[in-house]
Amino acid sequence: MAANTTVQPALSPQTQARRISLPFIGWMLLLGIMLGIGLFSALQVLMNGLVVTNLTDELPWGLWITVDLSSIGLGAGAFTLSAAVYLFGLKRYEAIARAAVLVGLLGYSSAMLALFIDIGRFDRFYHPIIYWNVHSVLWEITMCVVLYSTVLAIELLPVIVESTPLKRVKVLVRFSGFLHRLMPVVALLGMGLSLLHQSSLGATYGILTARPFWYSPSAPVLFILSAVAAGVSLTLFVTLLSGKLMKREMIPADVLNGVARLAGLVCLAYLYLKLWSWAATNYYSRVPAQQFGAEILAQNTPYNYTFWFGEVLFGALVPALFFLWQPLRRNKNALLLAAFMVIVGLVINRWNMTLSGFVIPLDWSPGVAEIFPINHYEPAPVEWGVAIGIVAYSWMAFTLGVRFLRLYPEARDLRTGKKIYAETEHSHHE
Amino acid sequence: MTDQAPAPAPPEQAAKLNLLSRREFMTLLIGGGATLVLAATLAEPLDTFAREIFAERSRGLHEGDPNYHWAMVIDLNKCIGCNYCVWACQATNDTREDMRWNIRVEDRTALGKTFHVTRPCLHCGHAPCVEVCPVGATYKRADGLVVMDYDKCIGCRYCQTACPYGARSFNWSERDDANPQVPDWGQPEVERRPRGVVEKCTFCIHRIDAGLAKGLMPGIDEAATPACIFVCPVNARFFGNLNDPDSPVSRILRTQPTLRLREDLGTEPNVYYIPPEGLI
Repeated sequence: MAANTTVQPALSPQTQARRISLPFIGWMLLLGIMLGIGLFSALQVLMNGLVVTNLTDELPWGLWITVDLSSIGLGAGAFTLSAAVYLFGLKRYEAIARAAVLVGLLGYSSAMLALFIDIGRFDRFYHPIIYWNVHSVLWEITMCVVLYSTVLAIELLPVIVESTPLKRVKVLVRFSGFLHRLMPVVALLGMGLSLLHQSSLGATYGILTARPFWYSPSAPVLFILSAVAAGVSLTLFVTLLSGKLMKREMIPADVLNGVARLAGLVCLAYLYLKLWSWAATNYYSRVPAQQFGAEILAQNTPYNYTFWFGEVLFGALVPALFFLWQPLRRNKNALLLAAFMVIVGLVINRWNMTLSGFVIPLDWSPGVAEIFPINHYEPAPVEWGVAIGIVAYSWMAFTLGVRFLRLYPEARDLRTGKKIYAETEHSHHE
Repeated sequence: MTDQAPAPAPPEQAAKLNLLSRREFMTLLIGGGATLVLAATLAEPLDTFAREIFAERSRGLHEGDPNYHWAMVIDLNKCIGCNYCVWACQATNDTREDMRWNIRVEDRTALGKTFHVTRPCLHCGHAPCVEVCPVGATYKRADGLVVMDYDKCIGCRYCQTACPYGARSFNWSERDDANPQVPDWGQPEVERRPRGVVEKCTFCIHRIDAGLAKGLMPGIDEAATPACIFVCPVNARFFGNLNDPDSPVSRILRTQPTLRLREDLGTEPNVYYIPPEGLI
């Protein structure tokens, strides 16, 4: 095509994909280095055991559990938006549902990577599948995570087939057409599994009478609400950011508007329960063990501040205002910032949640002496290394996904205003 | 209203609501049916196969005899804090210096009198560790003991998180340490646990099971009794069967006031303490 043609047709996706810019190479190089650090650190752990971490018998869970809880929480946009499209019939959200599914799959696989390194016997990672303890929330979570990852893979397969040379394999095309029509069932299954394990992750802490600071009936509900808010926010964030970088409008304005409002409303619901949960146990009542725990945390950790500023104010309240107040919602930069705040808020919450219960020492001796010291924890370099590697994995996979997969079927070129993809969305149905 | 009235849903749209074509439905039905039949056929041989593989590895595991209900009584009035029980346990169960199963702490009454508390695993009636373990590696035997299958444990450490008594330790690294309590306080009677699993006090399950098989009575005969009991120089520790009204522990519980640690948590421990004077 000559460069001086007056009518500029949108470039075909293949042509777009082949254009590799310098910043792209730099970004991939950076992620490659991070991935290398991750692999090196993981090897240290696998060879020497968990002794190379800063975890102890008194504080056995740390950064990796935070990574695990955060990635699963941030993956919750997948079930939320899939349910919107396939269960509640909001077809236009299909424009963002595929990206949500990819984010979800990357979140869940990141969590599984973190857990693989975190368990003492990685060679027995499959044990929960063959040895069942149905009373254990952790068993239920493991099974749900495995099954739901399968669901996400099923949801993503048609997108991969459609966007790659695999579309020339007839059997695959037929199969993915079949899967596409099965989607309402798959989405229902996905929603069921997600409602189960996203809440159970909160129950992991909430059911433990051993640690009064954790023991809380609201933990499961807080976990699922924050996961939906942050999962939708992350999907929104990567959508807006990749749109900015690729100079595209990834999703139609009404879809963007709807998703942002959803995130804002769920933020408010989360805040409502969170504040009541705090007030009921810290303001209106005085349970000695919880008071004692709160004092220890206030004196020894910044969690008091990170709770109010990181989780409540900037993690939910401010972004909710951004999402719900129309003048700000119309501004893509404001949305980007709001989504970022919710994401960071969730990570801070999962860290605070994990660490607070462990920092406060156990108290089982019958006398009055304070026998057990307050526990301290700072992740060891290998722990940071593994976490960096996992983050790099998901960022790299998403970068490649947004570049090579038809993630946003409604995407438009910002300059020409034309659709990037021809109307072949359902071509595989033939 | 100049706009056109909304048109009724065209028939195509109604047809779209069909999830599957007849052919796909039949394929799914036949495929699903075939999978079920295959699974049902294979279940039996696969189960046998799995049992054969794991039989070798789970050798020596007992489910316990429901005629017994093992419990321990520790007299905090008598305890002088000599650590003999701690060391005997460490030698017998070959635990690492910083991973002892039976520990001693110094505590104080409200009036300022110090006393010593030793804490084995309390073998809770409602054990949080058993309830949270995702793979059932920690389980409760019919005789009340809370024990571990080290071949199942994946090392997730949720049991450590859930135990209110800190009675569990994790093997952060491979063992290569010398046991400082061997041979002065006994010989190791069990294998060392591998890297990556959690471990805990068993009430010397190996002595109880072997002893009963030989006709000995745990709590009465030393060879059948946990290593921490008869080593006590002031007779502050008792062990026995709560189902037997004449066992040493049953007699004490009948005649003396006792307490259990963190009764408020509902864990129903099977270790009872005779409180020191002035505790309450």
